[in-house]
Amino acid sequence: MQIQKNRNKFNPIGLIIFTFFIAFAINPILGVIFIIAIVFFLKKNPKYLTSYFSDYLRRTTKLRSDLAESNLSIIDLNIQKILAKNEQPTLEKMALIKSAIPAKISNSLFSQIRLEKRKKYLHIALNNTLEEAREIISQLPTSDRILIEAGTPLIKIYGTDAVSQIKEMAPAGTYIVADNKCADLAAREVEMMANAGANASTCLGVAPIETIDSFIEECQKFNIDSMIDMMNVESALSVLKKIKKLPDVVILHRGVDESEFSKEKQIPYYQIKQIKGNYDVLVAVAGGDTNKEVQRAIFNDADIVVVWKNFYQSNTETAQLAESFLKEIK
Amino acid sequence: MLNQKSKYLQIAFNRSFDEVRDMIAMLPASEKIIIEAGTPLIKNYGNKGITALKNWWSEKIQRPGYIVADLKCMDRGSREIEAVAEAGASAATCLGLAPIETINEFIKECEKTGIDSMVDMMNIEFPFEILQKLRKLPTIVVLHRGVDENERNKEKQIPYDQIHRIKGTYGKVLISVAGGETPRDVIRTFFNDSDISVIWRSFYETPENTANLAREFLKLVK
Repeated sequence: MQIQKNRNKFNPIGLIIFTFFIAFAINPILGVIFIIAIVFFLKKNPKYLTSYFSDYLRRTTKLRSDLAESNLSIIDLNIQKILAKNEQPTLEKMALIKSAIPAKISNSLFSQIRLEKRKKYLHIALNNTLEEAREIISQLPTSDRILIEAGTPLIKIYGTDAVSQIKEMAPAGTYIVADNKCADLAAREVEMMANAGANASTCLGVAPIETIDSFIEECQKFNIDSMIDMMNVESALSVLKKIKKLPDVVILHRGVDESEFSKEKQIPYYQIKQIKGNYDVLVAVAGGDTNKEVQRAIFNDADIVVVWKNFYQSNTETAQLAESFLKEIK
Repeated sequence: MLNQKSKYLQIAFNRSFDEVRDMIAMLPASEKIIIEAGTPLIKNYGNKGITALKNWWSEKIQRPGYIVADLKCMDRGSREIEAVAEAGASAATCLGLAPIETINEFIKECEKTGIDSMVDMMNIEFPFEILQKLRKLPTIVVLHRGVDENERNKEKQIPYDQIHRIKGTYGKVLISVAGGETPRDVIRTFFNDSDISVIWRSFYETPENTANLAREFLKLVK
């Protein structure tokens, strides 16, 4: 059983600074000695620098080794070829350049945003049309705690265009989820979505275990977050037990059709604690469109709340929901 | 609409646009061939993919071709069907694993828009249990072994024994079998009384052989 390590790990930096001030107050010479000691200590154990900084170090060293591994001259030639063609619009050119570089390097260069634990996120699913998506996105407040999803209907109607267009509409650096609901052929779908610019992709929890396994592997390869959608799965825990590696996010989900036609089915809020107690994953709750439901999910310890616009709601209401989320939930 | 007494060969296309166009041009013009827009193709190109397949195939056989949109619908049954029916699909698929409400809604919506409904029984041990719960029967039941399953776990089998049982109980439904790849598999599916046999891998791997493969498989379809 994996216990959440991140929650319990204490951050030594604050303590060190505090001790440093005390040392300085007692005796300036002691303080200087202390600084030297810290410098030596951190040189030996860089991991004690804040986790963000060590992540940055890891990424840069990885990039260096990746660059060394691959044949740079070929990549260089490819990029020159792409740049030589003048007629393409800039965005397409960027995408082409990105595809010319091996996936491993391009992922660390065009660094992917990943979800952080401890933060609460609002996940807005766009399901109707791209025009409506544009309108909703333009009204949303900017925040790194808002995730934007290209919903399944959009992907099925517009293809991967849906993902790349939504990425274009959203403010730069927004986290984009491709809700492709993968049920088979995981490798191809993940590749398609990652290349379209998604930061996360979804897979069905009811899919064969082999598919889920290969889905999670592929997501790690492309450096995007893997989300397992537990719609119509009775016990999410039993699925998690069977798979080889853990996904980044587990989504507890009530389908729209289910909600409409049988009201008595409920989102299993009690499962959130069960899952988080046993596995080191983020839990998302999907199946709500009002402020009350959002608060209920967060109260039950969900990390991500998925909301969508109902057909009777106006676009402004979705934006208002996002604003009140940012204000009320920290 | 499909004929109850005839057997069909369903070929799923998952490659890029240009390749698929060439492949369809190579196919023999036969009404026994059903063209499927595979899930990856739909997720990649969206509705454009379905319309393109429809146009190419209809041009080839000189009458409206039968196109299956492998939507693998899991939620919002009505919304997705409207879109594919408009794009020209003659049938759409829904996952048997989806909530029963979704499947019911899916079948109802398919009837309303006048396309065939297919329920894909991938990863379901007893398709019977699902069929029993439904309000209305789908036009076609697909018995399916996933590709990832096939590759990573050899011992799972297509439940051929289910075909007779489903047909015996529900009479009217057509049975489609997906997940077999060799001519032997195709013979086996028809021998076991299924109506449609779905293949894709051999076409996917050797697009230049499309014409020969299709002819070879068509010989098996009586």
